[in-house]
Amino acid sequence: MNAAKPMSAANPMSEQQAYEPKIVAFLCKWCSSAGSDLAGVSRIQYPANATPITVPCSGSMSPMYILSAFNKGADGVLVSGCHIGDCHYMEGNFLARRKIHLVKELLQFIGVEENRFRMSWVSAAEGAKYAQVVKDFVEDLRPLGPQEKLKAQRT
Amino acid sequence: MTKKRTGVFVCHCGTNIAATVDVSRLAKEMAGEETVAFSRDYVYMCSDPGQNSVIEAIKENNLDSVVVTCCSPNLHEKTFRDNAARAGISGFTCEIANIREQCSWVHKNRDEATAKAIKISRSAVRRVARNQSLEPIAVPVTRRVMVIGGGIAGIQASLDIANAGLEVVLVEKLATIGGHMLQLSETFPTLDCSQCILSPKMVEVSRHPKITLMTYSEVQEVSGAVGNFRVKILQKPTYVDPEACKLCDECTVVCPVVVPNEHDLGLTSRRAIHIPFAQAIPASYTLDEDSCLGLNPIRCGKCKDVCEAGAINYDMLPKTVVEDVGAIVVATGFDLYPQEKILEYGAGNVEDVLDGLQFERLCSASGATKGHVLRPSDQKEPKDVVFIQCVGSRDPAQHCAYCSKICCMYTAKHARLYKHHVPDGRAYVFYIDIRSGGKGYEEFVQRAMEEDETVYLRGRVSKLYRKDGKVRVLGTDTLTGQNVEIDADMVVLALAMQPSKGTEEAAKVLKIGRDKDGFLAEAHPKLKPVESVTGGIYLAGCAQGPKDIPETVSQASAAAAKVIGLLSSDTLNHAPTVARVRRSHCTGCEMCVTACPYKAIRLENGKAVVNEVLCEGCGSCTATCLRAAIEVKNVTQLQVFDMIEACLTV
Amino acid sequence: MINIQDIRDTARDLLAKGEVRAVIGWRAGSRGMAVEPVVITAPEQADELVWDPTCYHNLALHLVEDRKFLAHARKTAGAPIGIIAKGCDARAIVVLMQENYFKREDVYIIGVSCEGSGVIAEWKVARQLDGAVPTAAAFAGDEFAFATAAGEKRLPAREVMADRCLECRNPFPKEHNVALGEDKTGRALDAPFAALARFETRSEGERWEFWQRQFERCIRCFACRSVCPMCYCEECVVDSINIAVAPETTAEEKANRIRWIERSAVKSENITYHMTRAIHLAGRCVDCGECERVCPVNIPLRLLNNKMEREARERFGYEPGASIGGPSLVASFRDDDPGAFIR
Repeated sequence: MNAAKPMSAANPMSEQQAYEPKIVAFLCKWCSSAGSDLAGVSRIQYPANATPITVPCSGSMSPMYILSAFNKGADGVLVSGCHIGDCHYMEGNFLARRKIHLVKELLQFIGVEENRFRMSWVSAAEGAKYAQVVKDFVEDLRPLGPQEKLKAQRT
Repeated sequence: MTKKRTGVFVCHCGTNIAATVDVSRLAKEMAGEETVAFSRDYVYMCSDPGQNSVIEAIKENNLDSVVVTCCSPNLHEKTFRDNAARAGISGFTCEIANIREQCSWVHKNRDEATAKAIKISRSAVRRVARNQSLEPIAVPVTRRVMVIGGGIAGIQASLDIANAGLEVVLVEKLATIGGHMLQLSETFPTLDCSQCILSPKMVEVSRHPKITLMTYSEVQEVSGAVGNFRVKILQKPTYVDPEACKLCDECTVVCPVVVPNEHDLGLTSRRAIHIPFAQAIPASYTLDEDSCLGLNPIRCGKCKDVCEAGAINYDMLPKTVVEDVGAIVVATGFDLYPQEKILEYGAGNVEDVLDGLQFERLCSASGATKGHVLRPSDQKEPKDVVFIQCVGSRDPAQHCAYCSKICCMYTAKHARLYKHHVPDGRAYVFYIDIRSGGKGYEEFVQRAMEEDETVYLRGRVSKLYRKDGKVRVLGTDTLTGQNVEIDADMVVLALAMQPSKGTEEAAKVLKIGRDKDGFLAEAHPKLKPVESVTGGIYLAGCAQGPKDIPETVSQASAAAAKVIGLLSSDTLNHAPTVARVRRSHCTGCEMCVTACPYKAIRLENGKAVVNEVLCEGCGSCTATCLRAAIEVKNVTQLQVFDMIEACLTV
Repeated sequence: MINIQDIRDTARDLLAKGEVRAVIGWRAGSRGMAVEPVVITAPEQADELVWDPTCYHNLALHLVEDRKFLAHARKTAGAPIGIIAKGCDARAIVVLMQENYFKREDVYIIGVSCEGSGVIAEWKVARQLDGAVPTAAAFAGDEFAFATAAGEKRLPAREVMADRCLECRNPFPKEHNVALGEDKTGRALDAPFAALARFETRSEGERWEFWQRQFERCIRCFACRSVCPMCYCEECVVDSINIAVAPETTAEEKANRIRWIERSAVKSENITYHMTRAIHLAGRCVDCGECERVCPVNIPLRLLNNKMEREARERFGYEPGASIGGPSLVASFRDDDPGAFIR
């Protein structure tokens, strides 16, 4: 889909203005979820589009979770973990890095927009970064519109 | 499976949540969930009345699980879990939904925040619906400790642990404890006599009722897990009964074998029967089997003949001792990087080029030259001594990439000691940087430069070689831009610190990791510097990385504190959210075994089996398994599936 | 050129001496020129064995079936089982051993080299023979010789060999107990992953159009899964209705199986199935091409798996089927794994 038309009173695409991308954010318990907490403690405001699911470690992210999120209608999926070398469980994020790379490549290969799936390293000290990651993600997702390619058409 | 009866407790947190999230609507929405039997909101859930209301609700409504929608679990998860346990249900059937830090505090729009809070809460409710009622795993522990390595780190750790009332077995490879600190003359920055501060501790170890000292011994095998290790130790025969030996020294007089003395780093020699040094602990002589002419059959026998105390026994046998311990501290120390590898500086073949420890032995009153600084080649007093820092360190191309931390300080110390011994001598130090960060360290180095008039040259030495009875040193002084040539009487090399051979061996036997430089790997470089990755095994001293004596002693005490905490009761409480194998699906491919960072999974009869004590519940196995044959309790794939669905339901 | 007698003698010998309890190989089929897989158990049956360009089946599949049969019948294997394996098949066997599905000593690999000429793709032959029905096929150096009613027809191997053979880098069975035929490793007629590279010149939108059509056509017959030796899981993760119920399966497990996707063969569910399968095969697929060959609606499945294999090779330096003792792709990592995509 093309870039969004500028928002203005003259913009007839009122559905596009009302469209709010739904993001599922998988956050690792020790770094990214704590970083998200810090954003809260610091009262940094960011869009409410991302619903967090806390998992023990980015290494526990089965590719099935990502595919399932898209299958259930997520417009965007975020996976966030500890920085390389800082994983609370030592090696989890190294394992995650490989698997997520494969999932990302495969999604792009079949033609799912690159911007719908992303991974970030957010440490417990990076509250501002988490907020920015979500902000950027929402902005990048808006022009793409609702995700229909992998979404199950269930009643 | 009977349907869950979950209670949902929505916290206002004063206005922190309630100002942005419509808490009463949230409570109503949750009440509509299939597994929710009770749903209510309240102003402060964590308060006493709040918590009591949860207990009441659990009892009156026969609830078996609880979701508290409130602040971050980091704050009150434990509070609410303990509270649930007080009401008679498992703490692990209580989950927190974070609608404050991750919702009300970061969004302003009430509708959006409420919608998100509903998704977060619903997600928690769906998850809890399948939570098992787990109880912490109680692991009985052996309240005894093994310390491997009898240098200052091992000694300090042993004393701290023994003083806390736990039994310690201290295993040392050599015939005496004391380690490298025993070879030092004086220590920086106070120039205390090393032996004077170490000896009292060594004696304390030998006399401590809770410490069993096993010298001349090596750890051969370790099995078991945290809280319950079984260690096999080989005690080598010294052929001398330590109780009977009177330290009269008559045996060395008659021993025909002469070999280099390791304690003096080859600067002196010893006999096959010897005491490493006069104040060795245990205070006993040792017959070194490898250099002795022969014990089986007896080729010589002279030492036994002259021993009036009858302490020598050629029939002593090696003993294998098995010890059960709950924790292990590894303090196996360092060795110096071999001079042979430094080709530019003579590869160990140029006379009067010494390493730091050898120089210590020259300075030491109990050393090769009775405390006089004399050249090994001709026993004359050196008038020009060159000290070279960073030999082998900070050299990623050829040797060690890291900095060995202590060399700047001990080089300054060596220069000062030399000048104190030979006041009319000239001391030169070639350096790249001066790293003197500890208390009193910088002042110490300044005194070496100013009071003791040591010439500090900022530059490296490209080459040294023997010429006309001296050692010609070719270096450079980058601050003046001039090359420098010194015909030195003696050169002392500050060689890099590398992990000792014993460290390498211990790591293999204990199956603990080593970092890229071979030092023992700590569990977390910042937050867990004295813990190895393996539960129950702790690290202390230079085996973990280069450090000076104050840091070594600190680490040893830190490791001791960890051990004391670990063994503070008869059982260990381990989180029960561990991995579980679905045997019907497991094909024994071992991918989970490889992926597990804690080596907590093994193959038994073709199926994966989880060691619940080692498992930390990280879930790496879950994500790796192609067949969903292994998952972490209370964070199962089905639960995540339900949570994903809950997040996407409007 | 391999002499068929050598294959037969080897098999006969092994069976006669009791060194193996059976040999998995090929014999003449009942349908045109195509051979069919066979498991022989008696030395006399060795005379049935054949070796020709229609031996495209990955016989490792039958090793898996043998093991499953034994497990369900609660029998022990006893003697090892023999298998005739091409270069591609041998790699599949290595992957199975890497995953402890077999111990090395339980399988006797009779390696056969296609000597670089590969095996045929039937549709390419049909196209070239232009109506003539082949009744037999034989290796003939750089050509294949087809017997037809109008006499022998020779076609250059390059023009009728399977696509995956064109890109093959491993025509010789590296892991073997005995190997027949010459090692022509190193000859590559097309660059590896050539078909993949051609596909990737399409834009994102074009790629989606392409795959959407494929996944809409999929009837979820699971032929791809059934023919793949690596899909040996007792219960397929995306098809959990076929739950493997063993005595140790608890009631709770039976109640708690996940339905990642619905059974209906609609596009969204098909996509999830195929993507899951591709990811689960990353680092394990040896590109034997069988999945694509057996697909009744001609979905170019090799493209999906090749994409994963190229990532494995180029990004992670990983080759499936290279070493029995090596770790799997997803259970291991390197410090320099690419991470630039992570914000």
